[in-house]
Amino acid sequence: MTIWTPQDDGHADLSSHDTFAQGAPHNTFARLRREDPMHWTEYAGGENFWSVTRYDDITQMNKNTELFSSARGIRMEDQSYEEYLARRTFQETDAPDHSKVRMKLMKAFSKTTMAQYEQEIRDICGEILDQALAKGTFDATKDIARQLPMRMLGRVVGLPEADLPWLVEKGDALIANTDPDFTAHVMDKLETDEFRMMPFNSPAGAELYVYAKELMEEKARKGDTSGVLNMILQPAKDGSTITETEFRNFFCLLVAAGNDTTRYSIAAGIQAMCHQPELLAQMQAGGAVWETAADEIIRWATPALYFRRTATRDVEMHGKQIRAGDKLLYWFISANRDDSYFDDPFRVNLMRNPNRHLSFGQFGPHVCLGMWLARLEVTVLFQELAKRIGHIEAAGPHKFLRSNFVGGIKELPVRVVAA
Amino acid sequence: MKVTWNLPGGEAVTAQVDYGQNLMEAAQAQSVPGIIGDCGGSLACATCHVHVATDWRQACGAPGEFEDAMLDMVDDRQDGSRLSCQIEAAPALDGLVLTVPES
Repeated sequence: MTIWTPQDDGHADLSSHDTFAQGAPHNTFARLRREDPMHWTEYAGGENFWSVTRYDDITQMNKNTELFSSARGIRMEDQSYEEYLARRTFQETDAPDHSKVRMKLMKAFSKTTMAQYEQEIRDICGEILDQALAKGTFDATKDIARQLPMRMLGRVVGLPEADLPWLVEKGDALIANTDPDFTAHVMDKLETDEFRMMPFNSPAGAELYVYAKELMEEKARKGDTSGVLNMILQPAKDGSTITETEFRNFFCLLVAAGNDTTRYSIAAGIQAMCHQPELLAQMQAGGAVWETAADEIIRWATPALYFRRTATRDVEMHGKQIRAGDKLLYWFISANRDDSYFDDPFRVNLMRNPNRHLSFGQFGPHVCLGMWLARLEVTVLFQELAKRIGHIEAAGPHKFLRSNFVGGIKELPVRVVAA
Repeated sequence: MKVTWNLPGGEAVTAQVDYGQNLMEAAQAQSVPGIIGDCGGSLACATCHVHVATDWRQACGAPGEFEDAMLDMVDDRQDGSRLSCQIEAAPALDGLVLTVPES
């Protein structure tokens, strides 16, 4: 039984958010990998761009930051230089600026630091699952996947528990800014440019900024120096400190990235369990499967569908002339289904090893800072889920997010039988 | 040149590596367990940490500034700790012995 069959005709519009509301257009990606691996893609909303779809190309190009820069924006949408400066985070910079900020944060998100949170994650997972599973039939994205990541991020960053539901809502508005289910300000349908200087071009960015500022003032009053936010406020070795705008944008990045990527990994894993019944039995058998399962679920999900780079000078690839200033989209979702690299890529194989997927943007300096937290959350969630159920199946069709940037199942009706 | 990776379980992997290749990529090519290299050698992940055998430390040299900061994040940092993506195969390192720390 296949998990899900892509419906696109092989010529889908990759620049259209509507395309991805039907799920990623894998027939189109497969054709491009085969026939046109450096594809000039028309984009009605701005400058056209190159679509890079092969695994080998993306891994090579992702390392070459001198030729393919992050410092002009990392999404398909065009920004003026003024907007870029107002909205950028360290994600949208190159070395050495990028390294300086990243250094400050790495320790807070390292594998060792994250491992200390395992029991807390397990407790939160237990609580969430017990509530959801008692319903028998429910929306697994809403009742399971949506709950865990923000509650965990709240602990890591040091946010008050009571604020978390509000932060989930704002995080959704930021990153799902092209899906009308999550925001009243659908980015590609905006009739105002009022928010163009705000993170993610979203009014939620402004609200989050005020929130972050007040939170830090409150912490300073109490002498509380814990958490990631204080870490980033410390001066660097050369004495430089982060500006207010940089801090605002970083906080928004944390809320957006911490909120939805792991959510959609969890959702994709649960969807796979509904369609490949052997997965539950493999999870229940336990042991070595947990060393590889999270990465396979995260490969399957690929929540960050692409990141963009900008060519810094003219270069020829696959017979195409790339010009300085051209945008290039690295389609991780395509690389993660590239059958010249992965055996049977459309099947979830929890024992896949090695599994050098690109869901975290590996093979480059911008590799996901939160990857150890994500892997741990996914592992623990599925361990606790597998313990509690005897059967899981789809209780209706699932729905995808309307976004060509974040890939996710936003509604996932399931039916479970307790173990 | 010849490189040996001693593994935590007591086994070892020995391979020929071309001059110029960095030893994280060489380890990947040999599927040496425990050398991940998530950031592709751009000093952003610290997942290619190795301990350089005492006799080889001088030939390998000391970590650079960013590498040094990254090494502060690993478990089990020792005097011979290096990120193997920052060590390039060269004639002076022929016979090099590295230990992969327990992860």
